[in-house]
Amino acid sequence: MVEAPPAIETRALRKVYGEKAAVDGLELAVPAGCFYGFLGPNGAGKTTTIRMLVGAIPPTSGSIRVLGLPVPGKEVEVKRQIGIVPDESTLFDHLTGPEFLEFAGRMYGLEPALARRRAAELCELFELAAQSRKLIADYSRGMRKRLAMAAALIHGPRLFLLDEPFEGVDAVGARLMKDLLLGQVRRGATIFLTSHVLEVVERLCDRVGIIHRGRLVMEADTADFRGAAESLEEVFVRVVGGARPRETLDWL
Amino acid sequence: MRGRGARTTIAVSLGTVWYGLWAFGSILAALLLAGAPADERLERLLAHGLLGVCLYWQLIPILTASSGASLDLRLLLPYPVPRRRLFAFEVLLRTTGSMEMLLVLAGGAVGLLANPSLAWWGAAALLPFAAMNLFAAVGLLQLLSRLLARRYAREAVFLALVILAALPQLFLFFGTPGPLLAYLESVPAPWLPWSAAAGAITGGGATPWAVLGAWLALALVFGRRQFERSLRFDFAAAGGRAGSRFLAARLDRLSRFPSLVFSDPLAALLEKELRSLARSPRFRVVAIMGFTFGLIIWLPLAVQGPDRAGFFARHYLTFVSLYALLLLGEVSFWNSFGFDRAAARWYYLLPAELAPVLAAKNIAAVAAVCAELAAIATVCTLLRMPLSADRVLEAYAVTLVLSLYVLAGGNLASSRYPRPVNPRQAWRNASGGRFQAMLLFLYPVLAAPVGLAFLGRYLFDSEAVFWAALAAAAVLGGVAYRASLQSASAMLVRERERFLEALAAGTGPIRT
Repeated sequence: MVEAPPAIETRALRKVYGEKAAVDGLELAVPAGCFYGFLGPNGAGKTTTIRMLVGAIPPTSGSIRVLGLPVPGKEVEVKRQIGIVPDESTLFDHLTGPEFLEFAGRMYGLEPALARRRAAELCELFELAAQSRKLIADYSRGMRKRLAMAAALIHGPRLFLLDEPFEGVDAVGARLMKDLLLGQVRRGATIFLTSHVLEVVERLCDRVGIIHRGRLVMEADTADFRGAAESLEEVFVRVVGGARPRETLDWL
Repeated sequence: MRGRGARTTIAVSLGTVWYGLWAFGSILAALLLAGAPADERLERLLAHGLLGVCLYWQLIPILTASSGASLDLRLLLPYPVPRRRLFAFEVLLRTTGSMEMLLVLAGGAVGLLANPSLAWWGAAALLPFAAMNLFAAVGLLQLLSRLLARRYAREAVFLALVILAALPQLFLFFGTPGPLLAYLESVPAPWLPWSAAAGAITGGGATPWAVLGAWLALALVFGRRQFERSLRFDFAAAGGRAGSRFLAARLDRLSRFPSLVFSDPLAALLEKELRSLARSPRFRVVAIMGFTFGLIIWLPLAVQGPDRAGFFARHYLTFVSLYALLLLGEVSFWNSFGFDRAAARWYYLLPAELAPVLAAKNIAAVAAVCAELAAIATVCTLLRMPLSADRVLEAYAVTLVLSLYVLAGGNLASSRYPRPVNPRQAWRNASGGRFQAMLLFLYPVLAAPVGLAFLGRYLFDSEAVFWAALAAAAVLGGVAYRASLQSASAMLVRERERFLEALAAGTGPIRT
């Protein structure tokens, strides 16, 4: 049986800004159908990696293949098959939620009537229907994240790239999003998620990778942490070098 | 970096020309006042001159939507900064929108100091006069900001301001009212601030100084009070969002019109643009300005000109539509991604080529101009102006052909020099003067092919020559537009990081 190619594959991926390498030789292989948690401290290169995967920024060197297609090169075809929740919750302020969803659906290739119907259904699902006449400019941060998640789902993508999807979302909304994502994985989709909330990652994800200073420093199945001597949090802190004793400020 | 350097060079050059002209005016004021004898004529001249300074200081920033830099109070409120210091900072920032008048007053002060027939302390009266204007400007702009934040008030306020701005034009053609003429020939009442300042300068005793001091105190109280009210004002709540369901449903149906003509993704992008522009207070205000300026300011020239059958009267609709295109450019095609700001990243996240994105923005801008033109033609018909079908056709044809050229320039400018623009701020724009100066140089070049069509008509006295030349200009414009679309979209791909960084900028406490 021929094994499916990895949903995401990077080789010696680098992104340099001036003299600083935000991503420094990243070697990544995310299996298809996997729920992958991509962890790292602030400034480690998580968001930069996602932006390169989707073709929003070009890499300095190295190669990227998403769903078997090269990026850059076939990024339009790649984008048609992926759903994205970016890190910042900036959306088109002068559209309403349903209008933005319909716009995203049509850009993903859905027929206008289908996009409109799915937009209405997703607004109901994400409890945004009551705000359907409100402009996105007046949405809270959590509402914007929910809307971005709905936009990522509207076209039934094969791969999800989610950058801090639960940030600012209340517990009910976060629970809904987690259930939806698990359902997508059961349908065969691949999820590549970044988050600072390690408990959520440990509970949802099949596999985790930890990036530090632009490099993948650890990768393991989350099942390995259950019942193990070290929890994911302890491993994370050790691997990124946060375990050393710190001086305290006497005025604090 | 290279784009930023070029933009800085252009801005500095235009600023130098603009303020150079005012510096020249300042020198003229100094020379005039240095040699003027200290008599009633000087006092009358000073009073009317200072009235003009006051009017320019308070009204021009409003009318040109160029208020200079100001504090974004919401960002500073969490910090323990005393409010009197915030007010002082706002007053200092207000000087950025008052440089022209400060230059003129500085020149006037030098002239007064050099005048041997005036006491040297007279020139000092310009200091409290300038301070009074600064405080009044702070108060007036804060008051207007709150007024313009209200959903249905801003367009009405702008309509009123446009009519006010058109008064000199109307006086010129319909005659200045007698009482106004008499006022201009007399010395204004001594209790007015400009009269008091003139009296203080020409040695009118202690009373003008006391009056001037009272006005200064009043302006300070007004400015401070309006500033404090703006600190407590809920701008977001005043804007309101939920409008009429009936109107929303009709507008929704109208906004789906592009789907009847185009297919996705262009139709989806165009619908998104039309909805966003229609909901942007800044775009609506400029659209209203184009419509009302076109009627109020140009109409008297067409109606009351010495030759009613002259060139301007016959092509009035064409000139008005070109003027609307010029005005609308600043909030659309010259900075196509300005209103999107950081959300422009979605054009790179969604599976869209960037050429349709630009094309949709261009079509939306042209659609807005065509709608304005239809509205103006309707009003002209109702006013029984001599408007025939071929003149309407000419107006549309000329506007559409010229649009090809300005859109070509706009696509390159939008991709090269993107600037974030807050669509909710109906009228703030610190680059208004420089931008208008740039357009004064650029538009004649872009309009040259269309101008040649009119020249051909004049030289050969032939409509066929006009339409043939216009058709040739359209073909050339089409080529230029297509090339600009390809070049701009390639640049947007190649320099996407610089582009997105520029649009995401501008969240500090000082707004410009």
